[in-house]
Amino acid sequence: MLAFMGRSIIQKVVTLFFVSVISFLIIHLAPGEPSQIDPLNPKFTPEMVERMRTEFNLDKPLHVQYMLFYKNLFTGRIVSWRDNQPVLGKIWERFLNSLPLFVVGTILTWTFSFPVGIRSAIMRDGVYDKSATFLAYLLISIPGFFFAYILIILVVTELHVPVIGMETFGVTSASPLVRIMDRTWHLVLPSILGATGGVAVLSRYVRSQMLEIIGQDYVRTAWAKGLSSETVYYKHALRNALLPFVTMFGMILPGLIGGSVIIESIFSWPGMGRMAYEAILGRDYPVILTLNFITAALVLAGTLISDLLYMVVDPRIKL
Amino acid sequence: MGRSNDILLAVENLKVHFTGDGPVARAVDGMDFQIHRRETVCIVGESGCGKTVTALAILGLLKQPPAIIADGRITFDGRSLLDMPAAELRALRGKRIAMVFQEPMTSLNPVFPIGDQIGEAVLAHERVSEVAVRRRVNQLLDDVGIVDPQRRLGDYPHQLSGGQRQRVMIAMALACEPDLIIADEPTTALDVTVQAQILGLLKKLKQEKNMAIQYITHDLGVVAAIADQVYVMYAGVVVEQGTTGIIFGNARHPYTVALLNALPTKKKRGRRLYSIPGSVPHPAYRPMGCPFHPRCEYCEPSCQNAFPALCDYGKGHHARCPILFAARGRAEETRA
Repeated sequence: MLAFMGRSIIQKVVTLFFVSVISFLIIHLAPGEPSQIDPLNPKFTPEMVERMRTEFNLDKPLHVQYMLFYKNLFTGRIVSWRDNQPVLGKIWERFLNSLPLFVVGTILTWTFSFPVGIRSAIMRDGVYDKSATFLAYLLISIPGFFFAYILIILVVTELHVPVIGMETFGVTSASPLVRIMDRTWHLVLPSILGATGGVAVLSRYVRSQMLEIIGQDYVRTAWAKGLSSETVYYKHALRNALLPFVTMFGMILPGLIGGSVIIESIFSWPGMGRMAYEAILGRDYPVILTLNFITAALVLAGTLISDLLYMVVDPRIKL
Repeated sequence: MGRSNDILLAVENLKVHFTGDGPVARAVDGMDFQIHRRETVCIVGESGCGKTVTALAILGLLKQPPAIIADGRITFDGRSLLDMPAAELRALRGKRIAMVFQEPMTSLNPVFPIGDQIGEAVLAHERVSEVAVRRRVNQLLDDVGIVDPQRRLGDYPHQLSGGQRQRVMIAMALACEPDLIIADEPTTALDVTVQAQILGLLKKLKQEKNMAIQYITHDLGVVAAIADQVYVMYAGVVVEQGTTGIIFGNARHPYTVALLNALPTKKKRGRRLYSIPGSVPHPAYRPMGCPFHPRCEYCEPSCQNAFPALCDYGKGHHARCPILFAARGRAEETRA
């Protein structure tokens, strides 16, 4: 077990190193430099471009740039090229904005997908299953931005609650209760929107997984023992059907940093997704590369967590 | 024979059909048999002849749809199983009729310890304390010949061999001391030596616990070892029935005779083993007349039209073939 952890962590560090090299190369291979972002701007004289290149070390060989960048990243001194703010501080601030959205969305997704998927599988081809299937495909096919506008129109005109941004402008002077309610209302629509697509997809996975397990020999054995259908479905079948989702559960970790560009843009939510998008447009290499590095690290940590979780839930796996 | 009041399970004219996209598959097509208390009855037949479907129908484990019980009666201890409310049937499953399945490798739940899985069978039907269940499970594992049961209770199925898993399955079936155990090819997936051990175990347990056994197999060697009464099945119907002695000594149906000929014996050593030409007809496309006629050595024109009735040959011996007795003499002449 400890040996596995040790081996796994070493492997993942090596992987992370290659990820860092490749992503660094890709960024620099891509056409355009921060210094050329606005070539038609008359203020951008050749001298200025040259000064920027020296400032950002862009005139040095790539491997030197690489060393400099990751030295700054690990000492925490890395700054954004656009506003000279520390990158880690910027990311942390945006991360705190995205976190509630991510947590509420994920909880909604996982708590709704399982009951829906399991019931569909048990009542296969019944009215419930067919309606759930129809609804799932409807929600999968409808584009997020379009669905968002339908929701906004409904909510704003019918319920008269604020939906844009993280809080209503000027609400800071109100009482704490009003502020909390205001924050909660702002959170509702984006997280529901984030969760609907997730529920639609995940409940289909749960259904097919559950259907496969229900056909297994050991489920028949459970029936033959004279167990109640609740015990057969929710103990014998579900416990086995859950196994593959452990992998998926480890994979949601990177979502922490990814955010959602579309949802954040629609609702003017100052989250991670939008920051990454703006950084790419502005060729703000430090921000892009740092986000990329953290995402890679989270993916690797996620796989390690799923491996460990697997060992807990599946007695056949010994690490 | 004066044993009619001793009948535990009676299946009469059972018809199980499977509906799907294609034509209706008549997997079981008028099956009749009886099991008396404390009797071992073997149902013999090739794969696909409806043996397992019959067993699942008895326990109410067929998935409906696609399966339909089109006709027939199943009576257990005087009560009709097909008309029984689901809750009562559930109370009966595992308690009075238990089943041992063919595939020990996949029939145990991989994520629960075997002790829990056996204990669950007890707890499903009886209100007993944790301690009592543990003691019972211990005893059951000991009964089925698992060494050091105390230590194996917490083992998961993957830590056991195939034979051990089948022993666990048997322990599970025995948990509530049922009146009838349906064993569906319990030794097919096992090595021959393990097979003999499991058969011996079943025989011993049957004596100790006063159970009846419905043993489903395609292996006549197994039949000879354990059966009191034999039913030979072909294409969803019983084609011959009788005591083990009669079936092995005086078979009347060409299919039974062919099966016996295909059995390796000392006398046949060094000779090419007989095999029945052709294969079992698909349950959706059964031939007219006698279902065995396309593969039958003794087929006569009348066999192609009329579905033969069971003919009584005395002493409880029935065969679904009226012509063999005369024909066999002729066949033996021609072979000689």
